[in-house]
Amino acid sequence: MARYIIQRLLSSIPVFLAVLTIIFLVVRVLPGDPATAALGDYASKSAVEALRTKMGLDKPLPIQYLDFMLALARGDLGKSMIRGTPIINEVLQVLPYTLELTFAGILIGVLLGIPLGVYAAVKRNQLADYVGRIISLAGLSVPAFYLGILLMLLFAIALQWLPAVGGGEIGDPVDNLTHLVLPALTLGLVMTASVARLARSAMLNVLSQDYVRTARGKGLAETAVILGHALRSALIPIVSLIGIWAISLIGDSVTTEVIFARPGLGKMMVGAILQRDYTALQSIMVIYTGFVVIINLSADLIYGVVDPRIRH
Amino acid sequence: MKHKFILLAILTIVLVGVACTAAPTPAPTAAPPTAAPKPTDAPKPTEAPKPTQAPQPTAAAKPTDAPKPTEAPKPTVAPTQPPAARSGGVLRIAQNATDLNNLDPHYATTTQDRSIVDMVFNALVRYKPGDGSVFEPDLATELPEPKIVGGKQEWTFNLRKGAMCQPTDGVPAYELTSEDVVYSLTKSANKDRSAYAGDYTGMTFEAVNPSTVKITLDNPISKNLFYPRVSNYSGGFIVCKKAAEKLGADKMKTMPVGTGPFMFKSYTAQDKIVLVANDSYFRGKPQLDGVEVRFMADLTSRELGLRGGQLDVINGAPDKAWVDKMKPVQNVQVDVFGVGEVATMYFNLNIPPMDKLPVRQAIAYALSRDEFLAFVGPTIGENVYSVVPAKFLAGGLTEQEAKAKGLDFTTDLAKAKKLLADAGYPNGFNLKLVTSEMTGYKVLYESLQAQLAKIGIKADVQVIDHTSFHNTIRQDANALVVYIAWRPNADAYLTRFLHSDSIIITGKKPDTNFVHYNKIDKLIDQARVELDATKQVDLWKQAQIQVLEDMVAFPIQYQNQVYARAKTVDYGHDLKSVLALYPGVDEKTKFVK
Repeated sequence: MARYIIQRLLSSIPVFLAVLTIIFLVVRVLPGDPATAALGDYASKSAVEALRTKMGLDKPLPIQYLDFMLALARGDLGKSMIRGTPIINEVLQVLPYTLELTFAGILIGVLLGIPLGVYAAVKRNQLADYVGRIISLAGLSVPAFYLGILLMLLFAIALQWLPAVGGGEIGDPVDNLTHLVLPALTLGLVMTASVARLARSAMLNVLSQDYVRTARGKGLAETAVILGHALRSALIPIVSLIGIWAISLIGDSVTTEVIFARPGLGKMMVGAILQRDYTALQSIMVIYTGFVVIINLSADLIYGVVDPRIRH
Repeated sequence: MKHKFILLAILTIVLVGVACTAAPTPAPTAAPPTAAPKPTDAPKPTEAPKPTQAPQPTAAAKPTDAPKPTEAPKPTVAPTQPPAARSGGVLRIAQNATDLNNLDPHYATTTQDRSIVDMVFNALVRYKPGDGSVFEPDLATELPEPKIVGGKQEWTFNLRKGAMCQPTDGVPAYELTSEDVVYSLTKSANKDRSAYAGDYTGMTFEAVNPSTVKITLDNPISKNLFYPRVSNYSGGFIVCKKAAEKLGADKMKTMPVGTGPFMFKSYTAQDKIVLVANDSYFRGKPQLDGVEVRFMADLTSRELGLRGGQLDVINGAPDKAWVDKMKPVQNVQVDVFGVGEVATMYFNLNIPPMDKLPVRQAIAYALSRDEFLAFVGPTIGENVYSVVPAKFLAGGLTEQEAKAKGLDFTTDLAKAKKLLADAGYPNGFNLKLVTSEMTGYKVLYESLQAQLAKIGIKADVQVIDHTSFHNTIRQDANALVVYIAWRPNADAYLTRFLHSDSIIITGKKPDTNFVHYNKIDKLIDQARVELDATKQVDLWKQAQIQVLEDMVAFPIQYQNQVYARAKTVDYGHDLKSVLALYPGVDEKTKFVK
């Protein structure tokens, strides 16, 4: 197993390097630069040029690239080109918000999606199945940002139960949780739709297998057949896809953080793009790439546990 | 397995329950006071300021366990006065921005930065809160008159007593002296330490004694042009020397330390900055406990935050539809106020056929200011007839003045088509333009596109992000550049947009002369050193008449600022015009019932 993990980690290194190089080049291809973005339209060209020099943007591109990679190799994410603050500090300030949002979204998606999908499969072609499929289709069709606004309008404006914007204080669990509910529901409900659909089709597939018929024939209770025999097998494709959904959830978390004005990596990334903060953007992409690699690796490992054939 | 299923079901129910349970309504951090706010027992200023009218417009002006956020170190000395009763509350403002850029006031050029800097710093003189047409003393005790000594112009400022620099990292609070003022102005004049260095060329600064500062100008200028340079706008903000030296350039970007009514408490990147009341403020203790400025680039989020009670003041949209939508909202007040940023269309003479006067005139006659105005709405903007807005600044041309010279270019499509045909373009021509994605720009370019089509000019307009737009138009990309900007005086408008030194790419100091124009340099230079205000205004007007005769710039409209606030917020002043492009929050701002 250890060898398998090491192999997977080593194979991630070229992916990392390729992504970082692409990001490094792409941000510099965009028109405008951090100095222009920082000083706005009021500043004269000489002021912008002076700031460019200060930011090291007058150095040749290969030198900038080398500086970036060497700093990264030392574990140094650098300083924000705009604010001059260490990026690691900024990231650590907002990372808990992104992690709690992503985790809560996955939790809602899994805890709602799997039971819904299983129930719909068990009640195939009955009213519950039709309702579940319609809800699931609606969930897949509604973009996260739109669902977020609808939830805000209902729970924050009409009912005034929950705050519309902000992330709350991490040190204040109640404040933090009340600010987390709507964004987490936004992400979770979108994921629920996907999970429910897959859980339903996986369960339908398993429920028609011979061993399930055998279990029923042996006189086992229906609950035991479904949970003890069918669900375990149905979980294999679900677990493998949860990794992919988690990655897409990271993407949705960007829009969700912006809509709900929550601090987080996604909001930070959008800000870095608009401010052309190259170092901040590169660092955030390093972290996101790290997340994706870890999630993929975790999914592979869990898959290996659920289905031992994979390891061989 | 059965237990697992039950556990799953319970967890699901709990989560749904959390979502649907009536969570406590988020109490605003700034609950309006339950009792009528008491008047402040703030100490009076050491000297009653004697306001002076700023250059008056020629027209009748109708101004309208994660790491904690970066935190300020605790003060090393106690406030000089014991805390007194105040209205209280923390004002939560949402700005249309993803983050701050730089809170070193000499680099603060964007609205979100200016609005924060405005609350933390002071200057020698200031624009009257809520009214950018009046100057009054700020750190100075009075507005000085200049003296000419040996051909140079001297301005002497006496500093008020009791203006305290806020405490910061290892630097206790201390009384601001002339040493700080000289340090700050010298920093403003240094291009390596300021974005406004150009404004201070030919100026020297001297601390005559601890409470007196002398500023000497190699080339005398009028009050109209001098006061803005030492005012609470751009480079005029005074930084505290000890704090600036202790913090260094990087820390100053996110940790402002001045003498103003609010002082830095904490900053979270891409989220918010928190300021607290400065009880040692020389005009008296602020009514508010503090101010939180949130960075929220999404208008819908800002709007929902205000409606939901998580925000008290938001930056709105310069759009009549948005204003009309927000006006009926209960407990919300929409404010539309100046200064209006002026939208002007500049012709790039480097791109044919804009080098031909009849073509430029044809375009001017094809355009309708009212049609442009319909996009933003008459409550938000107003037509303008010269590059300098006559409503807000001395030196602009009113509609009547432009009309009297036959330079108002009232829409006349037949004339436009004839001019175009005479210039050799009877069927019009094609143009490629870029516009910013920002609403204010986009609607103007869309309207321009529609209006040009009436005379056969087909404009292909590409929408790009705002930063890219600014970069692209400075590379000679647009034959027609619609630009929206506020500049603090006529000299700044004319120099930066129409003086040959400012020609993009090739000028001595490339800036925003998109036209590549050089016909009014003399008039601008003469006006800059003219000490007689009337003659100076006359020179600025002559320059703009020339601009219209050459039709190198078509003034379109000014667009006011749009903000919305909870009705419980009282800014403490009327809103006519604010140069920092936000409503202005100071020691008098408070929550009311």
